[in-house]
Amino acid sequence: MRIRNLTKFHINGLNQEKILNELSKHFQLSEIDRQDKNNTLFMCSYFDSKKIEKFLKKSNIKIVSIQYDGPVYKIKNIFSSWGMICALVLFFLFFLIQYQFILQFDIQGLVRVSKSEIVEYVNKNFSRNKFDLDTKLVEIGLIENFSRISFASCIIKGQTLVINIKEKLMPEEMYGQFKPLVAKSDARINNINLISGTLKVKVGDFVQKGDVLVEPFTIDTSGNIKKVEAKAEILADIYYESSVSHSEHFIEVTRTGNVVEQNDIYLFGLKIYSFKQDIPFKMYEVEKENVKLTNNLFLPFKMQKIKIYELVENIIETTFYEVKDEYIEKARQKALENIENCDKIKEEFYNLRHQVGVTILDYCIITEENVGEYYDC
Amino acid sequence: MFNFFNEIKENLKNPKGLEFNSFNIINLSGHLLYVEGHIGLVTLSKELISFKIKGGVIIVEGSDMILSELSENTIKICGNIKKVEQI
Repeated sequence: MRIRNLTKFHINGLNQEKILNELSKHFQLSEIDRQDKNNTLFMCSYFDSKKIEKFLKKSNIKIVSIQYDGPVYKIKNIFSSWGMICALVLFFLFFLIQYQFILQFDIQGLVRVSKSEIVEYVNKNFSRNKFDLDTKLVEIGLIENFSRISFASCIIKGQTLVINIKEKLMPEEMYGQFKPLVAKSDARINNINLISGTLKVKVGDFVQKGDVLVEPFTIDTSGNIKKVEAKAEILADIYYESSVSHSEHFIEVTRTGNVVEQNDIYLFGLKIYSFKQDIPFKMYEVEKENVKLTNNLFLPFKMQKIKIYELVENIIETTFYEVKDEYIEKARQKALENIENCDKIKEEFYNLRHQVGVTILDYCIITEENVGEYYDC
Repeated sequence: MFNFFNEIKENLKNPKGLEFNSFNIINLSGHLLYVEGHIGLVTLSKELISFKIKGGVIIVEGSDMILSELSENTIKICGNIKKVEQI
């Protein structure tokens, strides 16, 4: 399909044949349609349109309309609009400004050193402007400031700073955190599997929360202290306790179903209307609820509903043995609430203590868990 | 390149020595009229189009006619062509 860039002229005037003859000597005209004696439509190439327009004006022919069509006109129209020009200028300005800066980091070769540490160090100590950034200095800085880095090379690729790192090779036990392993709760040690460090407890010991279990060092035969990571699996019995009490006589307060309502209406926080009834109850409880009267933002009426419920006291008498199972389950659930990471429940038991009119049920759950955790100062 | 008019002229014996270089007209099914060798438009309307040729005027009558193309020496007329007359 041939893409044509055409311009359609609508002219008005006398003796148009003469004008068309003159035009046809210089330009190719097409689709010449004589509407009436004075009006004619014709088409010409878009590239000739300016010359034809000039010629028509010179010949005192009235141009009623000019319609352009075709891809060349559309492209020219886009590029001649101010909005597009402004957008292009802003785009190039923005591009030129941001092109000067390093936008991302590509760090390779990290095993034990964290990427965020490297990025933080580079951001803190060097410019983000890639024309000001000396990659040699970054390499030297990384080697000098990070003891675990043996080699670093940097290049700027586009807007990315590519850092290639080689870490120092050290024995396995040199890594990790040199913090002691402590007991996370009161417990009785059952089994110890020491991996590294110096053990401070033995099987059968009772430990309290925070007691050191493994120290982060070893002492060699010459008496020299060597730092290592404290690592061990220490299984221990941990006791989770709870208690609930039961009274043979207790007062239960219930609602009788009788209600009295009171309403207050507010506008802008000021009480403008109040409806109140006398409260005929000896014992009662009050419930308040705020309700919007209208959705009109200009007059935000609000109503506070006050409901007064009549209460009555009932004396309940039960023996402990009637509700024993219910209380045992209640105490058990209470104890279970304290268990966070239960590996294994070893044993459960309860004790009863009787006092005057009151029975106290103590429930105990014994679990076996890894009791060690790193000391966090 | 093949030229239809030149082929006809060469094949024609032309015993009387007629002038063939003035103008050429082709009428395609009464809907398209192609003219070579005009020397100016005289009248233009939907019903009548006339143009000068060397030694006369050609009058084209019809309806809904438009000048599909107009250049210095060619004309292409589209529409319902009823009559082509040389005067």
